[in-house]
Amino acid sequence: MMFSGILVKHHAALKNIAIAGLLVLLGLNVGENYGFALFDINTTNMLHFERFGLLFNSICIFSTLLFVMLSGKDVEKVGNYTAEYFALIFFILCGIGIVTSYVNLMMLFIGIEIISIPSYILTGSDKKNLKSNEASLKYFLMGAFSTGIMLMGIALLYGTSGTFLVERAAAQTPSISYLEAMGLLLLFISLSFKVSLAPFHFWTPDVYDGAPTVFTSFMATIVKVAGFAAFIRLFESRYGSMGSQTERLIAIVIVLTLAFGNLTAVFQQSVKRMLAYSSIAQAGFMLFALFSLNDAAKEGLILYAAAYCLATIGIFAVLVKMEDGTFEGFNGFGKSQPLLAGVLTIFLLSLAGIPLTAGFFAKYYMLASVVKTGNNLGLVIIAVLFAAVSAYYYFKVIQAMFFKDGDVSFPAVTSRFKYLMVAVAAVIVILGIFPNLLLQFMYF
Amino acid sequence: MSTTVILFWFLSALALLGAMMVLISKNPVFSVLWLIVVFFAISGHYLLLNAQFLAIVNLIVYAGAIMVLFLFVIMLMNLNSNTEPQKNTWLKVAGAIAGGSFMLIMIDVLIDAKDMQTKTALIKEGNIGLIKNLGRVLYNDYLIPFEITSVLFLSAMVGAVVIGKKGEAPNQ
Repeated sequence: MMFSGILVKHHAALKNIAIAGLLVLLGLNVGENYGFALFDINTTNMLHFERFGLLFNSICIFSTLLFVMLSGKDVEKVGNYTAEYFALIFFILCGIGIVTSYVNLMMLFIGIEIISIPSYILTGSDKKNLKSNEASLKYFLMGAFSTGIMLMGIALLYGTSGTFLVERAAAQTPSISYLEAMGLLLLFISLSFKVSLAPFHFWTPDVYDGAPTVFTSFMATIVKVAGFAAFIRLFESRYGSMGSQTERLIAIVIVLTLAFGNLTAVFQQSVKRMLAYSSIAQAGFMLFALFSLNDAAKEGLILYAAAYCLATIGIFAVLVKMEDGTFEGFNGFGKSQPLLAGVLTIFLLSLAGIPLTAGFFAKYYMLASVVKTGNNLGLVIIAVLFAAVSAYYYFKVIQAMFFKDGDVSFPAVTSRFKYLMVAVAAVIVILGIFPNLLLQFMYF
Repeated sequence: MSTTVILFWFLSALALLGAMMVLISKNPVFSVLWLIVVFFAISGHYLLLNAQFLAIVNLIVYAGAIMVLFLFVIMLMNLNSNTEPQKNTWLKVAGAIAGGSFMLIMIDVLIDAKDMQTKTALIKEGNIGLIKNLGRVLYNDYLIPFEITSVLFLSAMVGAVVIGKKGEAPNQ
């Protein structure tokens, strides 16, 4: 397990060590993807590292690296425990490493918990802010409840098959028994909660709004995307035994999620809250991968994860520095900081899924995967409609930046920050033109 | 009916009764005490399955340590039925409907699971619950989860320090 080595470092703090650690981690991960592993441990059917999971890890680690480089300064401002915050972020990464590669339901449970518990803490890290405390407690209670549901589901699955293994349990029973279906349903519910899909999303706006903005950026992107990796791995191997009922269930959840996320995001005044709701909507799009579950879906999810993480982290990096988080706060931003405003526009366009950005191909792959399953065109049309709705509120920010007057109180930023932002935007555009640059890592 | 079967039904009934009383009791302290009854009943079940280690650990950790913490917290907070917030009637109805349908589904699922009847746990047989076998399995097959759990606990500890440490004195 190459992830455990990183955990020792929370004594010596600070951004640069974190960056160095992340670079090492990223290098090792990419190396392992090419078949070069530093050490090989027999995991006795607990973890199984393969392309998809490793590539997913790489994306998560890379996004975290960007996150630390862009917002590391702001992490230091949250409180006195900078080292601990970074340590918690590394713990979350460790959980992600497990969740993307588990073959055993027990590992799924442990991984999800390792992701969740530091998230609760990061949410509440702004101790003097009442909203942060409330969000943390709410998140914790609801999260604990959903963990209970997950355990119940795992117990039922174990009851039917007598094993924790995801694969073997599926192979044993060709036709699914009700008990197993129930277990899967409970697992579905708890995982949906973790990635905030529609009927289980109520915690999301409050938590994302209450948490310190830096950590919102981390939780809304990397943590959420990892949940989808867990989803895919779970249902991929169970799919043969599920049939059309589950498909219908997932379709309903998708439509609900898209509808709720997009329609509520339209009415938000604060950009942060808008992003929270839009992250629900984006989760709906990512769920398409679960709906179609073919190769295109996996590619799409990888691309979506990358596009969504990069763009959202970029937007939040600016938003953290803003003093006024409402739409009005962005008035005139285009005049005072033309470069940053331009970069921000690219991020927003990518989130909305406009061509020439990574977001477009991400959405395209998702929808294409659904089209491939045949006769689900209605769902595709609904998705496209809601994508159009989402463009409305993303453009509201762009409009505020360029076409409205106002003075923005924006602290001076280093040129390094600017270069980084431009680099991220460049990556998004390049991925938007040649998505295969990323996807080729899945096959070689 | 053999003794073990009678014991099994008795313990199951006790556990269910305890769980119901946890929910029904107006006074939170009573709830906690009933919860202890539940834990004892479940420990009894473990014993029936020849899992002594699990039974003892369940008693020590849950009935012992955690319940004491519960009691402390509840007594510190000085809760009683008067301070309990009034709940919206609609919420109650919605909760009853949702919970009721969930219960129906679960009952249906259990009725359907006929094939499980042959697979019921072996009472009085099997020795996986003995501490020797448990340790062997834990450190061979389940070594990875066992080790990884330490990360979980470490993160929880770091979190407790971050959240709980007093004062905003400057770092270092």
